[in-house]
Formats: sequence, C-alpha cells, structure tokens
Amino acid sequence: MAGKPFGNARRRGQGQLEAQVLAALHHAPGPPTAAWVQERLGGDLAYTTVMTILSRLHTKGAVTRERAGRSYVWTPAADEAGLAALRMRRLLDGETDRDAVLTSFVSALSAHDEQLLRTLLDRASAEDPVPGADPEARGG
Amino acid sequence: MGVFVFLPLVLPLTALPIAKLAEQHLHPRGSTRLLTLLAAVLGLCSTLCLGLLMVVGTAQLPGNPLPDGWSDPAVRAAVPGAEIAGSAAIPLLAAALTACAAALRRHLRVLARTHRALAGLPGGSGTAVLPDDEAYAYAVPGIPGRPGRPGRIAVSRGMLRSLDDDERRALFAHERAHLRCRHHRYLLAVRLASCVNPLLLPLRSAVAFSTERWADEEAARAVGDRRLTARAVGRAALIARPAPHPGLAHFAAPEPGPVPRRVAALLAPVPPARSWPPALTPAGLAALVAAAGTAASALSALNAAVALFVVLKAATPL
Repeated sequence: MAGKPFGNARRRGQGQLEAQVLAALHHAPGPPTAAWVQERLGGDLAYTTVMTILSRLHTKGAVTRERAGRSYVWTPAADEAGLAALRMRRLLDGETDRDAVLTSFVSALSAHDEQLLRTLLDRASAEDPVPGADPEARGG
Repeated sequence: MGVFVFLPLVLPLTALPIAKLAEQHLHPRGSTRLLTLLAAVLGLCSTLCLGLLMVVGTAQLPGNPLPDGWSDPAVRAAVPGAEIAGSAAIPLLAAALTACAAALRRHLRVLARTHRALAGLPGGSGTAVLPDDEAYAYAVPGIPGRPGRPGRIAVSRGMLRSLDDDERRALFAHERAHLRCRHHRYLLAVRLASCVNPLLLPLRSAVAFSTERWADEEAARAVGDRRLTARAVGRAALIARPAPHPGLAHFAAPEPGPVPRRVAALLAPVPPARSWPPALTPAGLAALVAAAGTAASALSALNAAVALFVVLKAATPL
C-alpha cells in the first residue's frame, strides 16, 4: 500500500507532496511557474493543488516567490531536509504535550540543575580524565 | 461493605511513596514495569468503582435506562451516601473518560504529525538528521498498525555537532533502546491511568524518569562505558533547548531535576539486575512492607469492586 510509487494523488500524504514539489523546484533550470511544476510532476495533480502546496510552502518559509508578469515564479528556500526541520520545529514549538509521545534524549534544565550537572561532570572528569575529551568539554 | 467501596478511588494516594521507593531500590527496568502495572491496575479499579457507584446511586432516578432492580433499597444501603456518591460519580466518570479519549487522540495526532514532518527525509526507517542548529534528539515511536511507519530517531544537526563520536554512539544507543524496549507503551499506559485518576500523576513522572534511566543503562551497556554515557547525557542537556515555560518548571528548585539524577546514577555503580533488594537489608524490608501494603490495598480495592458488582447482579431480575 505505502510502497505504491504513483498511486492516486490524493492518497499521497501532504508531506510527500510538499517534498515532491520542492524536489521539482530544485531541479528547475531557473525559478519556474506553478504550471511548470505541475507539468514536471507528471500531470496527475490539479493546477490548484500545486498552487495550494506552493502557497503552503511559502507560509512555512520553505519557498520564496516573485511576481513575473501575471503569475508568480517560485524559488526554493530550503531543501527537503530543511523543510522537514521546519515542520519538526513547528511541531516542537506548537505541541505542548509532545513530551508524552516523543521521548527526548534530555529534558530541560533549571538553573539549579545546570549548576549541579556541571559539578557532577567536573568531578567525573577529575576522577578519571578521558583522553581527548577534555578540550571539547569546554566548548559546550 | 461500607466506606470500603470508596477505597479504589483513594488508594492511588499510595502511588507517591511507592514510586519513590521503586526509584531508589529497583533496576529501572523492573521499576518501569512494576509502576506501570500498578498504575494500570489502580486506574482500572478506580474507573470500575466510579462506574458502579454511578449505577447504584442513580438507578432509582426516574427515567433512567437502568434496570429497576438496581435501585433496590438493599443495594443502596450497601453504599454509604449512595445518592450523593452516585450523582457525583456521573461527572467524574464522564470527565475521566473524556480526558482519556482526548489524551489518546492527542497522542495519535502528535505521532502522525511527527511522521509527516519526517516523511521527506531519506533513511525511511532509520535515523532522520534534521538540518537545524538547535540541539534536540527524539525517539519517535512507530504508528501502530502501519508497517510503513516504523519507529525512528530524529536528531538535529546541532545536537550531533556538539557531541563527539563516542558520545554520539551513546546517544543513538539510548534512543534505540527507547524504541526497542517500546517505552512509549509504558508512557501511554501511565498517561491514560493518570487521566482516569489524577492521584496517579506521580506514577506518570516516575515512569517517565525510569524509562529514561532504563535507556541510559542500555546505552551504557551497548557502548561499554558508564562514564561516557553520563557525559553524553550531561553535555547534551547543557546545550539543549531551554524549557518552553521556564517559570513553572523551576518553582520548587532544591529538588534535583531528572537529568542530574540520571547523570549521578550513571556515575554510580551498575544497579543490581535482580528485581528485588535482598530481604534482610532495610531496603529489602521496606520494599516488602510496601509490596504487602500495595497488594493488600489492591486486593481490597478489587474486593470492593467485585462485591458491588455481585450485589448488583443479585438484585437484577433475570
């Protein structure tokens, strides 16, 4: 099901569509129009769908647009990974109870914790200095 | 039966001391399993109790759909303050179930959103490296029933950049342990339990902490160096995103937060793998007493629930 490469456009997830549109923009010789993107994607997407995706990407800051004549031309501001990072960041900032679902490597420190943590780490490295690790430990 | 009917509702008060004891004396793996089981049992008992109270207390009200036999005076006499308790149980039960459903829905939504966010990245089931200068790392559990969406690790470039190679190995071992040991299931179970009865909230944070400790121990075993793992956790915390609402988290400062406790535990010797402290030490005795107390309270909770159920059944004309 999920492995079907070119199924009905509606069955493809939004994230996947955004990624495809971005990939098309990256392969364009110059800033293309929405019609060019639509053609590039193989025609099973409606023009309005492509426009919707492009404006959504624009809201996210993943593409920029300029007016050229009567339509816009589009330039990618972020690649697919950058777009994923944008979406992830929005999720992390927006969902208050994400911590219950995604287990973070570390949780936030209070000022007191930070001090305590530095003491612990200093003591650990003083007891048994790890070769090569010390110079970097100061970088953080 | 008397006031014992209400026992399942207040028994979760014992969650706090039990969570403390478990954290001090059990291996994090045992602690996670024990506390999750406890939360699930106490949560179920408390919901069952609310449901039965509602039935007994309100069956005599005119126009309700319940069998008339349930409003028998003998049944009501078995529950002290039946009418008040029954009417109070309706909103409580409704609130508990609504909170549960909302938590479940939010859980699935966050999960789906995260997978959507990561969808465009290469390495479908492995690690997703996000080009972001902020430092974060998450274990993203798979979506149940969707083989195309397995669990994966999302880590930012900022996080990778600030750790050295060995520390990165510890980080990945930690996140993989979360996914492999299915920690999200324990977390969801205690979350739902604490929605049902807020007195179980201490178990939620205790399980959140013990799953982190469990993953730390697995990571330390995988990289073969506790001190290195401690350093990875500590350095990652020092560079990671600050708390979104700093004012709330720091309200009661003197108690050390989870990260310093994890680092301290990693710098200490390996916790014993056995799931129980030796019986003749003070810790062992305390654990025994706690276990006996818990078992007794859980049993009497069940007993009260079953008794209520039997009374209702006897009063139902069939």
